[in-house]
Amino acid sequence: MYEPKRLHPISSVINFVKTLKDAALPLLLVFVLNGNIFSGDVDWIPLLIWIGVLFLVLISGVIRWLRFSYWMEEGELRIEYGFIFRKKRYIPVDRIQSLDFSEGIFHRPLNLVKVSVETAGSTGSQNAEAELTAIRREEAKELETLIFQEKSGYVSTGEEADDADIEAAQSPREKVYGMDMKDIVLMAITSGGAGVVLSGVIAFFSQIMDNLPIGKIYDEILDWIQIGVLVVAFTAFVVLLIAYAISIVLTIFRYANFAVYLEADDLIITRGWLEKKQMTIPINRIQGIRIDENLIRQPMGYASVTLISAGGSVLKNDEHQLRMLPMIKKNEIQKVLKMILSDYQMVDEFKQPPSRSKYRYMIRHSWLGFLAAVPVSIFFFPYGLLSISAGIFLVFLGGMAYRDAGWNAYDTQLTLRSRIIIKQTYLMKKHRVQAASGIQTLFQKRADLSSVKLTLTSGGGAAVAQCHYLEEKDVSHILNWYLSSRREEKPAES
Amino acid sequence: MERQPVQRISKRALTLWRIYGGIQFSILLLISIGLVVATVLWEWPWWITAVAAALLLIDAVVFIWIVPGLRWKRWRYEVTEQDIDLQYGIFIITRTLVPMVRVQHVDTEQGPLLRKFKLSTISISTAATIHKIPALDEREAERLRQSISSLARVAEDDV
Repeated sequence: MYEPKRLHPISSVINFVKTLKDAALPLLLVFVLNGNIFSGDVDWIPLLIWIGVLFLVLISGVIRWLRFSYWMEEGELRIEYGFIFRKKRYIPVDRIQSLDFSEGIFHRPLNLVKVSVETAGSTGSQNAEAELTAIRREEAKELETLIFQEKSGYVSTGEEADDADIEAAQSPREKVYGMDMKDIVLMAITSGGAGVVLSGVIAFFSQIMDNLPIGKIYDEILDWIQIGVLVVAFTAFVVLLIAYAISIVLTIFRYANFAVYLEADDLIITRGWLEKKQMTIPINRIQGIRIDENLIRQPMGYASVTLISAGGSVLKNDEHQLRMLPMIKKNEIQKVLKMILSDYQMVDEFKQPPSRSKYRYMIRHSWLGFLAAVPVSIFFFPYGLLSISAGIFLVFLGGMAYRDAGWNAYDTQLTLRSRIIIKQTYLMKKHRVQAASGIQTLFQKRADLSSVKLTLTSGGGAAVAQCHYLEEKDVSHILNWYLSSRREEKPAES
Repeated sequence: MERQPVQRISKRALTLWRIYGGIQFSILLLISIGLVVATVLWEWPWWITAVAAALLLIDAVVFIWIVPGLRWKRWRYEVTEQDIDLQYGIFIITRTLVPMVRVQHVDTEQGPLLRKFKLSTISISTAATIHKIPALDEREAERLRQSISSLARVAEDDV
């Protein structure tokens, strides 16, 4: 570990694939613009250029692997990389919060792991983070042991650490939560992922539509509408179904074997079938908890629990990674929280906004919908009127938002519940809240109403909990809660 | 929370904001002149000129006369040992509390116009938010910056 080391050669392939994936869209575009390959009408020169580019990308992947080295020296993890510009990144071990291992399809057959180094980055300062694309699992373990030994003040002199030390350094893992297949399937079926896949498919189809001979179609448009509507509706339905199926399968693959472990002061989340992922979240970095209930899951009594963490690199990249409990019966949350974050309490009693706020919620949710319905109704006259029903749905949603809004300040915890589409409940500790604001328009001032907004740190940015149209004195109460007795109250774990 | 913060920002901010309003007005004026020329050249309908003139007038009244005064009147702040307390906004009034222990760093900044008026903007950063107090007296801003940064014992890495 003390000599410069290379990554596993497979990382050059991974680099190649990754660059290709990032460049997939422009590449595809070139193929589309390049004429129809199937009809043999291909412009050869651009194609050759692109093959050349592909080759260069492959070479650069290999060079990147050749020029990348890492080692431990003077209590720092040192990484040097770069082809034309040599870059050195030295990360002091004290700054390293955790090492996360994940495995992609390239890693598994070769028993390799990808190591992400997460550091205590904050806004202001440059996030020092690093990624070792592929190293052998044993090396990764060794690196981890070494880093945490140095971190705890013990500097190992030899290359090999004592086995006993390793044993001592690793405290036992305790499984606090696991998902069974039934939950995962249910989650996949009720997820919003279908929408994401669907929008991708729509984007794809709109591309094709652009290339159709529009003028010719326009002549036949009247005939086309007669039979066309049926065909289009049917196609749309099939596409929707396929998208939905894909999203379900993807979710199952991604969340299979989902489990949460507690190891010393860290929370460890593992999941995935083809691509195994492991996330480590130091418990003292957790800033707050958010509970989401979407429209489908809420009536079934299910919710998902998301951690808001001040962590660095890995957490930022993938929004799913922070999900601690992706699908859980709402009444079981407390039980799991008690094992991990015992100072957070689930709350049942909420102080709600006054009844004069109700129509404000409805207007707030729906005005944009109604406004959009006006041009839609005019331009697509008879059928466009249907868009008004979307506005009515939004009014209904606004009514739900009113019913779900509420707050509870007890001891050092503030619980804020609100809904835009998904019902969200934030559990916040006083000493984790970065700033609190009361926000009031002049209209609200006249009605003695006010909104409240609390900001937590999340990754490099912010997580904002907001609740609208509360009684003005309630917002005062929350701000006073935030102000008062901060002097005697100190964060327990820091 | 019934009590408002006590400090106000510098009265010179009023003049400064009026100048900003004036700059915005002159840009609009230039565009309007362009419009009038175009109207004459290509015989566009006359009401375009009328609309432009009306917009200009409204802009002048609102951004040179009304807004700076309202904005100044609303802007209040107070820095105690424990908290920074801000209140601002014309139509949307925001009251913000930032505990001193959450403050990570404080900056003052000064553009050419601000320098001319011996004013300075102070921005207070936490791990998640940035709060600005605009147009403070230069010396007051400097004093505030020093007192905040000495009061803010930057919390350890738990943010």
